[in-house]
Amino acid sequence: MSGQTQRLNVVPTVTMLGVVKARLVGATRGHALLKKKSDALTVQFRQILKKIVSTKESMGDIMKTSSFALTEAKYVAGDNIKHVVLENVREASLKVRSRQENVAGVKLPKFEYTNDGEVNKNDLTGLARGGQQVQQCRAAYIKAIEVLVELASLQTSFLTLDEAIKTTNRRVNALENVVKPRLENTISYIKGELDELEREDFFRLKKIQGYKKREIEKQMQSAKMFAEEQVAEKLALQRGISLNNAQNMLSAAAQKDEDIIF
Amino acid sequence: MYGFEAMTFNIHGGYLEAIVRGHRAGLLTTADYNNLCQCESLDDIKMHLSATEYGPYLQNEPSPLHTTTIVEKCTLKLVDDYKHMLCQATEPLSTFLEYITYGHMIDNVVLIVTGTLHERDVQELLEKCHPLGMFDSIATLAVAQNMRELYRLVLVDTPLAPYFSECITSEDLDDMNIEIMRNTLYKAYLEDFYRFCEKLGGATAEIMSDLLAFEADRRAVNITINSIGTELTRDDRRKLYSNFGLLYPYGHEELAVCEDIDQVRAVMEKYPPYQSIFAKLSYGESQMLDKAFYEEEVKRLCLAFEQQFHYAVFFAYMRLREQEIRNLMWISECVAQNQKSRVHDSVVFIF
Repeated sequence: MSGQTQRLNVVPTVTMLGVVKARLVGATRGHALLKKKSDALTVQFRQILKKIVSTKESMGDIMKTSSFALTEAKYVAGDNIKHVVLENVREASLKVRSRQENVAGVKLPKFEYTNDGEVNKNDLTGLARGGQQVQQCRAAYIKAIEVLVELASLQTSFLTLDEAIKTTNRRVNALENVVKPRLENTISYIKGELDELEREDFFRLKKIQGYKKREIEKQMQSAKMFAEEQVAEKLALQRGISLNNAQNMLSAAAQKDEDIIF
Repeated sequence: MYGFEAMTFNIHGGYLEAIVRGHRAGLLTTADYNNLCQCESLDDIKMHLSATEYGPYLQNEPSPLHTTTIVEKCTLKLVDDYKHMLCQATEPLSTFLEYITYGHMIDNVVLIVTGTLHERDVQELLEKCHPLGMFDSIATLAVAQNMRELYRLVLVDTPLAPYFSECITSEDLDDMNIEIMRNTLYKAYLEDFYRFCEKLGGATAEIMSDLLAFEADRRAVNITINSIGTELTRDDRRKLYSNFGLLYPYGHEELAVCEDIDQVRAVMEKYPPYQSIFAKLSYGESQMLDKAFYEEEVKRLCLAFEQQFHYAVFFAYMRLREQEIRNLMWISECVAQNQKSRVHDSVVFIF
């Protein structure tokens, strides 16, 4: 894993340092924001979960009541009432519409049902027997549909939120464990490179200074030697002796003669 | 001649009356119903039923069993019994037996017509029809595009033809509400059946007129209650009441103007036989009315078996079987849906 947090391959210049620092700042801010978003989504998630549990329980009861209402209707109006009602239907009167709701930045689908057809006052199903039971059965099933539509909304929101939370958490973790360390490593690398360059420069400067000094000393040495030679030459000219002797004289003169007391 | 049927009835009707009485002995008793109510699952029900007359029809069904399968197989048994009796019958018993099934025939015709109007598939519709009400040309009902053609092409050959011509003119056929048409046909059928029984005379006429009068009155009450608050006008309502029965004509006048259940109750309490039914209900409640009517019907049907040498036993047997199948459906649904506490709400014990 440590191999993953390498650094970016950049040219280690001061400009790049500025750029990478700016990116680090952006990453930090993004990390904080995404964490907040993830927390908000998780809160919503828990609420929806609670609602789903209670709705499912009530749905179990309601479905039981409505199937029993159907049994009562079948008992009184004859077993065929199912087919009679089915054959008499033209189109559905209860319709479900879906719309989008924005929750903490996530678009959740929400279903609601509308009663499109007019309440059929003229519905004479089971006129001779069982009409009342048929109407009661219809009322029971309308209630069941209400609960089912709500449950469908809640479950789709649940799934969508789940996806959204997973994605957000993935991004948060990615920023925290990959992007930021990478950027930090890059910054330290650039700084290191810059320091090294500076050191190189300094070193080079010092070296050059050293050379210059030696040059100067050499020149001084050669100048001194030249001056000595000049003096020897003068002496040679004055006394008419060879340079060598002159030099020897000079050097001897430079030395102390025992013979000479003063 | 009334009173001398003992001499001549057994020549033609003796065998079949014996058969019907044998079937009646095979109806489920209170003990059977108690056992069935104690069942925990549909397989238990199947096991209990295999000891009764329904055994051979249910034993080949694979589990998991479904409530609709149980009802289907029991209905199949009823149809088999009926067909057996119909084959053996002579006139006028065979016409009588056919009259019993015209009610189901009307239901089937109305179902297929509705389905065709809404463009459904004919084969599916045929499967949904009641088996007792099938007739040969029923599939051709789907061909007709509107009601007039329907009558001209198909219905004129069926036994239902006179009901159509009597009460419905061709303009009415087109824009009549399907339920009103069904109830008008049924009214014509009841009146026709009543006249036929009167013609037969003797004990048959006496017992059948009592049973049919009860049916007509019960339909009148149901129509009144179910049309409260709908757009059905009073005149339309009056047209759907039959022309015989205890409530005819004064009861019908009063029922036609009723606007809620308490008014209906006030009307019905003037007639002693129905007073006891309505006494069982508390004020404002009408849920138990259907069960009360079923109980009263079963009581009268059982009484029909007390006399001999008449055709009403066949009618009574068919109706009692239908009630038994309804009971079985109720019990199986309660067991399947885990609502055992509601079982006794609607089971009508036959004996």
